[in-house]
Amino acid sequence: MKKALALTLAAAMSASLLAGCSGGTTSSGETESTLPAYNELTVGEDYTDLTADLKIISHRTDLIEDGTFQGYVDTFQQMYPNISISYEGITDYANDMTTRLTSNDWGDICMIPTTIPLPELGDYFYAMCDLSAIQDTYNFADNRAYDGKVYGIPSTGNAQGIVYNKAVFEAAGITELPKTPTEFLDDLQKIKDYDSSIIPLYTNYAAGWTMSAWDAYIGGGATGDGSWMNITMPQTHDPFAPGVPTGDSESGPYAVYNILYEAVKRGLTEADPTTTDWEGSKPMINNGEIATMVLGSWAIVQMQDAGEHADDIGYMPFPISVDGVQYASAGADYCYGINKNSSDDNKIAAMLYIKWLSESSNFSYDQGGIPVLKDQEYPETLAAFDGIELIADTAAPSESADLATNVQRDAELMLNADQTHVMRIVEAAINGDETMDDIVADWNEAWNEAVDANAPEGGAVTGTGEDAEG
Amino acid sequence: MSKPVAATKRRKTFGQWCKSMRGQQIICTVTFLILPLLLLFTFTYLPFFKMVEFSFFDMRYIGRRIFVGLENYIDVFTRDDCFRALLLSLYYMAGSVVQMALALLFATILSFKVKGSKFFRGALYFPCLICGIAVGFIFKFFFTHGFVLDTLLSWVGFDVDTLPYWLRDESINNIVLVACSIWKYVGQNIVMFIGAIASVDSTLYEAAEIDGANAWHKFKDIILPSIRTIVVLNLIISVSGALSAFEMPYVVTGGGFGTSTYFVIMDKLAHTDQKVGLASAMAIVLLALIMIVTFAQKAAEKWLNEREDRTPRARRKTDPNTAAQAASARPAHAE
Repeated sequence: MKKALALTLAAAMSASLLAGCSGGTTSSGETESTLPAYNELTVGEDYTDLTADLKIISHRTDLIEDGTFQGYVDTFQQMYPNISISYEGITDYANDMTTRLTSNDWGDICMIPTTIPLPELGDYFYAMCDLSAIQDTYNFADNRAYDGKVYGIPSTGNAQGIVYNKAVFEAAGITELPKTPTEFLDDLQKIKDYDSSIIPLYTNYAAGWTMSAWDAYIGGGATGDGSWMNITMPQTHDPFAPGVPTGDSESGPYAVYNILYEAVKRGLTEADPTTTDWEGSKPMINNGEIATMVLGSWAIVQMQDAGEHADDIGYMPFPISVDGVQYASAGADYCYGINKNSSDDNKIAAMLYIKWLSESSNFSYDQGGIPVLKDQEYPETLAAFDGIELIADTAAPSESADLATNVQRDAELMLNADQTHVMRIVEAAINGDETMDDIVADWNEAWNEAVDANAPEGGAVTGTGEDAEG
Repeated sequence: MSKPVAATKRRKTFGQWCKSMRGQQIICTVTFLILPLLLLFTFTYLPFFKMVEFSFFDMRYIGRRIFVGLENYIDVFTRDDCFRALLLSLYYMAGSVVQMALALLFATILSFKVKGSKFFRGALYFPCLICGIAVGFIFKFFFTHGFVLDTLLSWVGFDVDTLPYWLRDESINNIVLVACSIWKYVGQNIVMFIGAIASVDSTLYEAAEIDGANAWHKFKDIILPSIRTIVVLNLIISVSGALSAFEMPYVVTGGGFGTSTYFVIMDKLAHTDQKVGLASAMAIVLLALIMIVTFAQKAAEKWLNEREDRTPRARRKTDPNTAAQAASARPAHAE
């Protein structure tokens, strides 16, 4: 009888197992022609009686908690009273969202995690329109596009610079913003000499994701070349070596990371990085206890709001010049993507909301970001970027669209997503057991291997490094 | 299928069988068991089998998968970071010994009539109830330079400037993290030990007292032998916990400054580098290690038992003592 029991149980379980598995894969074909394209929709006029229930997953937990998003929703609902919208925030966004995408009903709109290679966007997200339809009016329209289809609309744009406290700079006698790593480190030293209780550069090491912000500077800003990050670098040997790819060790990826290394080594950062506190750092920079933090332009508003000295918060371009010209990386923040498994009504509602957010809500301006539309106004916070050439990282051509992701993954150097390699710089500088050259040698080794493993057929791998190192 | 066969053997229809005593028993058992078993299967065994499958693929969480055979396992053994991380487990293993000793001490004290013993039991168990992430954050602030711990130490005469950076200094930060772990988990051991000690026949203490035994004798000769099975069980749990230490290094230091345990590295590989296959292989290697350690411990325990049974000292023991030992040993053998 025990056997019979066991058999029944086993049968019941395997049945439930099969049932559990069969729901997983529904590969839908090209059935999207019935819906209007994103660019054809007119917000406020089309589909005003549409009823839908949208769920949005966002990385901006702060804006969800303080009700900012609810304000946008309320305004939107004046036009579309039957579309209800709920937000869900995730703190560890990139990781958690990637995992949640494996289920089909995570919600309707999310910020597309950068971990998804471009060719696979279509497996999860709805293609809103052709790239050519919005390319002329939208900034960074090709950020999450593949094969001429747009899967993601940028929520806002970021310029990559350094948040700093103007009052501290002034008091320390710094009149001109630094343009090279050496000048920057000298200025940090001046600040320390002026008042040693001020932390010249706060690393925000403990928060982790704040460290991965450093990767955002090694693209166009450090090289003056928009194609470096996604096209050249994944095919280049020794990209982290000094002087690659510009031939000048004061620029290029090495220079960016070396600023961090040198700053920590010279004691220009906080004494104990392990106990830094992200939330606490905002009022500190606002009050002038911290002089600089290396964060994207999205951080400006948060620092201004953290205390009474909003006017003291400034934003400067990253101190790297290529042949005397200073560039700044600019790029899309997370892009809105629509779940391809949502119902048609939800897809239309989602497109309407996204279109309204990007074109009419003023969201980007309010958040101090680069506008989504090309003809929209730049916020005042980016004033220091006047005359600085903004360079957006060019997307790779379709046939090698996932090359950058694959190389980074194989090398275990997930730029902009993983912070352990940047944390290692801080640790090495404090412990004094590794030099910056030891670290980049390690990175280069892993990178070269990954480049070779992923080299596109017939594509020539460029080997720099040796000749530039000199 | 199987059920009708069983029914014909008893020459009863299925309906009759259902009404019979035996049938009712089985139906009850199945209905009661099916839910927990289903949950166990879906949330423990199914993911486990999936993980075994994943470990043979080069894959991300999403996207295409390539079968690579044993390559992931070879990687685990050839990478230098994986096994170096296991050395950190030695800190946590040493910690688990300290934890056992502390737990035994507190459990013994609290098992006797002590003023406010209920309060202390609650207080010592309390850390187990707090979410590990919260504990991590508490300790992060606790150890921040010039914060709680440094202030406390400065009150007893230490100079704050000479104190180390608790979480940054690589010679002590792992010990600090182990201490946090002990603080969090010791309550669990205490509760289990108190439960075990409560089952010791109290007449033994009286008999021992008449024979002139002091507290240490009572602990050594009555309590410890009586609860030995529980102690060993706890030790096994602690050692496997030491191998898979995660919470404290992950939350408090984020794996920085040489505190990346095996689990922290696994998490990084799986989630940020999206090398799910490699991380799965790491998990299975760790599982094998834990199983080996557990078997070794069981074998050692068995060997010790047998040796003790053979020594004449066991026979010389007073009657009630041996009786208690036998009584406490019985449930263990039944397992």
